[in-house]
Amino acid sequence: MDQMNLILCAVAAATLDVCALVLIMSAYHERSTGDRRWNRMTSFMELADYNAAYPLGCDEILIGRHASADIRLPDLSVSRYHAILTVSDGIWTITDMGSKSGTFINGVPVKQAQLRENDIIKLGNRQLIFRRRRDANVR
Amino acid sequence: MSGNTGSYIFSCLFVLLAHGGMLLNVFINGNYSSISQVIILAGAVLILDAAYFVAMPFFKQTTYTVDFLLILILNMSVIFQSCFGGVSLDVKHYITSIVALAACRGGYLVCRNHKWLGQQRKFFYIGIGVLMLAILLLTGSRSMWISLGSITIQPSEFIKPLFVLACATSITEQQKKHKILFFYVVYENLALFGLTAAICLLQWWCRDLGSLPTFVGIYACGFLLRICYPKAKFSKKKLIGAGAALLAAAVAGMRFAPAYVQDRLHVDIWSDKNGDGYQQSQALIAIAKGGWFGKGPGYGGLHKVFAHENDIVFATISEEWGLLYALMMIFAILILVAVPLVNPPRSYFHGTMAAGVCAAFTVQMALNIFGSCNMIPFTGVTIPFISSGGSSMLISGFMAGMLVACQSPTMRAPAVHNHERQQPQQPVFQQQRRPYP
Repeated sequence: MDQMNLILCAVAAATLDVCALVLIMSAYHERSTGDRRWNRMTSFMELADYNAAYPLGCDEILIGRHASADIRLPDLSVSRYHAILTVSDGIWTITDMGSKSGTFINGVPVKQAQLRENDIIKLGNRQLIFRRRRDANVR
Repeated sequence: MSGNTGSYIFSCLFVLLAHGGMLLNVFINGNYSSISQVIILAGAVLILDAAYFVAMPFFKQTTYTVDFLLILILNMSVIFQSCFGGVSLDVKHYITSIVALAACRGGYLVCRNHKWLGQQRKFFYIGIGVLMLAILLLTGSRSMWISLGSITIQPSEFIKPLFVLACATSITEQQKKHKILFFYVVYENLALFGLTAAICLLQWWCRDLGSLPTFVGIYACGFLLRICYPKAKFSKKKLIGAGAALLAAAVAGMRFAPAYVQDRLHVDIWSDKNGDGYQQSQALIAIAKGGWFGKGPGYGGLHKVFAHENDIVFATISEEWGLLYALMMIFAILILVAVPLVNPPRSYFHGTMAAGVCAAFTVQMALNIFGSCNMIPFTGVTIPFISSGGSSMLISGFMAGMLVACQSPTMRAPAVHNHERQQPQQPVFQQQRRPYP
């Protein structure tokens, strides 16, 4: 193969490389689209207590005392795996996982219930509010 | 179109540019007797590109990166396969590539709603059971192929996506523990472990030891995600125990392997160049002959060796296109499986599914490439999308569709038991309420 053909091979290989790079960059760019879609899907909600706000970044959020819980509440009145939050089409549902102290929504004990904005979730002695995310971009 | 229009158009252009560069290389450096062969190949590749680009926006997805990578890899593979031993469109591989694209769409539509899939869990186990029975009863004497006239099917390939789905659907059952004697166990985990053991035994029985590491890889990913569910917190004891068990199983497997496996484990390919080491020695010689830039499309000599288009395809591509191109082809497949790292899935199900597909593709590629380079025993496993073969292409396409589903999931409303509850009663809390952050 002569010099010219070698250059052609190298150029073809470089084109393929650039294409792969563009696709990776495109994936990064589309990440923001995915985030926006996720926020719409979850209705921009979050959980908060007196000290902190917990973003809901996944379609299953485990709340409990265990170190592996998504939202960890280090309180002995909260079970290790206390309740789980799930989302579908912007509707969040809470399901009690057989906790000892039970799960209460606005003072009412529930096994499974859909959440509405500003609902108060009581797990043991801990209280959380289910509210719209307080973000500069979200009104 | 749900994704970004600008990045969509740019991606289309660059995929066309990459294929155009390869076709130009074929035109200038290729081994062909008539220019019409190159024109037919170029037409087929560019038409498939254009058709897929037009069809993609009909599927409302958040991101199309996996689709672009898939069409890039598949048409690369069509060009590679059409150049082995002389430029001429490989019609069979072209058709299987179209089937793979269709399977990708099918995989996306089936797997995008994990809540629905979770309800179908039992069918995955039933499907795997039926396929295992088919291997036992229909493949003949300890073989892995079912012959249907002129078509041969490899049922173990069809088990792979079902096994990935079985791993993924059981991930959300991890908190449902039951006490058996003194141990708290999750029934799903026991069922999955039993299934894995049964598949491994069957693979051993039908002498398809090449696929065995793929299933073990998928299960290992599922197991790792299980012990760190729901958050990345590894249980060191379980991890060390699992590693030790795997090591013990591997040592025992090598110690008590059948005679034909022992031969492959200890074969010296250079002293047995015309016997058991024929394919590997020829593959290594071909890689060396090809160098960085190859001999030119169609000028390789490896096409005379048995299974040059699937088992030792990496060496065949290296010889004709050069090691640089062969490595970039592998790089493209690795990007495909790494896309979920860029856009992480939003559910544990899709995360586990992506990990399973990634494990299957990576293990298969490693077995094929390292096997043909004599770094591990030769197994005859295919490289996804690159090796020819209907079953492999169909299933690889379906599994790519599973990756697409991880990127653009649907979360439809489940059948919620709307337990009666009263209207919000907030006064008690509101009296104690303090400002939230």
